[in-house]
Amino acid sequence: MNDPIQTCVVVAGDPAVSNLTEIARSASGHTLAVVVGPRTVADAIAGAGVHEVVWCGEPAEETPVEAYAPEVARLVTRSAPRIVVGAATPAGRALLGAVAAATGAAVLSGITAVRVEDGRVVVDQERYGGIAGRTLAVTSGPAVLAVDPGTPVVAGDAVTPVAPVTPVTVTPRDGVRITGTEPRTHDTVDLARARVVVGIGRGLKEQADLALIEDLAAALGAEIACSRPLAEGSGWVGKERYLGISGQRIAPELYLAIGISGQLQHMAGVRDARTVVAVNSDKNAPVFGRCDYGVIGDLYRIVPALTTTLKA
Amino acid sequence: MKIVVAYKWARNPQDAEVREDGTVDFGRSRAAVSEYDPVAFEVARRLADATGGEVIGLSVGDTSIGTSLARKAALSRGLDRLVLVADDALADADSTRLAAVLAAAVRTIEDVDLVIAGESSTDLAEGQVPLTLAAGLGWTGLAGICDVGVADEVVTVRRDLPDRRQTLLLDGPAVLSVTADAVVPRIPGMKEILAAAKKPVQVLDHASLDVTPVGAAGEASFEVLSTSRPADGTRRRVLIDGADPDTAAAGLVAALRTIGAM
Ligand SMILES: Cc1cc2nc3c(=O)[nH]c(=O)nc-3n(C[C@H](O)[C@H](O)[C@H](O)COP(=O)(O)OP(=O)(O)OC[C@H]3O[C@@H](n4cnc5c(N)ncnc54)[C@H](O)[C@@H]3O)c2cc1C
Ligand SMILES: Nc1ncnc2c1ncn2[C@@H]1O[C@H](COP(=O)(O)O)[C@@H](O)[C@H]1O
Repeated sequence: MNDPIQTCVVVAGDPAVSNLTEIARSASGHTLAVVVGPRTVADAIAGAGVHEVVWCGEPAEETPVEAYAPEVARLVTRSAPRIVVGAATPAGRALLGAVAAATGAAVLSGITAVRVEDGRVVVDQERYGGIAGRTLAVTSGPAVLAVDPGTPVVAGDAVTPVAPVTPVTVTPRDGVRITGTEPRTHDTVDLARARVVVGIGRGLKEQADLALIEDLAAALGAEIACSRPLAEGSGWVGKERYLGISGQRIAPELYLAIGISGQLQHMAGVRDARTVVAVNSDKNAPVFGRCDYGVIGDLYRIVPALTTTLKA
Repeated sequence: MKIVVAYKWARNPQDAEVREDGTVDFGRSRAAVSEYDPVAFEVARRLADATGGEVIGLSVGDTSIGTSLARKAALSRGLDRLVLVADDALADADSTRLAAVLAAAVRTIEDVDLVIAGESSTDLAEGQVPLTLAAGLGWTGLAGICDVGVADEVVTVRRDLPDRRQTLLLDGPAVLSVTADAVVPRIPGMKEILAAAKKPVQVLDHASLDVTPVGAAGEASFEVLSTSRPADGTRRRVLIDGADPDTAAAGLVAALRTIGAM
């Protein structure tokens, strides 16, 4: 019982794991990172406050992270951790799924905090898109936690010693090969930093009408975001800009939801906004129960009026 | 190709009520095929048609998944037949448990080339079950797949990562979860719904399935200490009539300036 809590951080090829190392730190025990990906990633993790790094070696160009899942499960279970933390991303979940299948433990998502109480691992979790919360004590097997990954880790200050990196020889699974990679131009918008964000939804009738929203955003000094159907359905707005449980979560000073019904899967992404405004023609739209100010009206009339008022 | 589509019969938390004590009442929300699973049905149908194969729907859950409404909802969307594991003991099963039962069911179907799943379920929305299932089967598991193609029985898939687009080739069985925009699913018409009633449904007995390994033998690996309702009721909810847009706009801007939001 008095042994330090052993925590494993599993890294799926991407150094953007600040929230993972932070969760590991909050359990304040011994942290082992199992890293899939290039040496540069292993080195970045080694400087980010973990105690030990096991590195699965330089991956071949044709080998995806997922091919390492069985070996990662083996390396993780070998160290018998009480806590396993990984990224809530496709590759991260593939590694966590292998740990879960090997141990029978549930992968717990929506984790907001972890602590050790009376020798038990206790976690706070949000479920169903954040509408309900619960606190769990893990009773058997490791606590396997899928966490929103956060930002890339950078080697810490001089106080944090750089952990040793131990390369291990592993055999990734065959059965899958990367046969092509093309760079993808994507929007590098940083919605997380925007003070004001205008979100547009299916109330918009045509892509060309985005001009109305752009004018409003310009008058407000705002960034443009959207609901999922506009990014993944019609594709009128970049995928990097949709908000919600599967998209981004932001906490701006002001969020305007225009022509968005306000389903919880969308609103979970702006729950921490300081002020929420809605414009919707349906007075019964759920968004009106989740906003500070709601204008009941046609966005094609309200938005231009708003832009004019702001410019005056 | 023999393709299994794992789909969930799920309720939408949008219509659930979260009580003061944080417990969730799904009473008012009606179950349906999980929102994005029809995309998986459609991807599977097209692959099977291209290769002369079969599409088998597979769902695991409480007994509500076996009602005639639930069966037809799935079978009308391009499936050839259905396999169900319906047991109320699975009502609140976590993703690992669900994946273990799904894996056992896939093994009984035999000679399956591919399992296709939706990206995330309407209720839990974790995007975890397909990947844990892949691990349980000892197969490749890939999520975030936005395109699946086949030539000479060889499957290639594509996915978009934040900075690059990747093409992968499968030379073995795999579990794929497809993104919401992978294809546009067909909407079943009267003809499909009528035909659905005649398609075969096999109900597997949960108890006789070989659900391995799962250390905790079906018991949850955690204990719930407490539930809570996250604070969300703090919005002002001031409604403004937009019948006259200029007045509404002026009123809104004034209000936002007063509270210092602008
Ligand atoms: C597992 C899961 C995950 C999901 N994740 C996300 C997510 O991350 N992000 C997300 O956004 N969604 C997500 N969704 C989808 C979500 O449930 C909703 O379907 C989606 O947010 C709806 O988008 P919308 O409000 O733009 O469209 P709709 O719900 O169609 O609403 C359009 C609104 O526009 C209004 N309108 C129409 N015309 C006008 C007009 N002229 N003027 C003013 N208003 C008008 C209508 O009254 C309506 O309220 C998810 C769903 C599931 C099941
Ligand atoms: N009980 C289940 N039965 C069959 N398939 C499921 C089940 N639960 C989840 N799935 C599949 O896994 C996908 C992701 O679910 P989840 O991990 O709950 O977000 C769903 O879209 C389904 O395709």
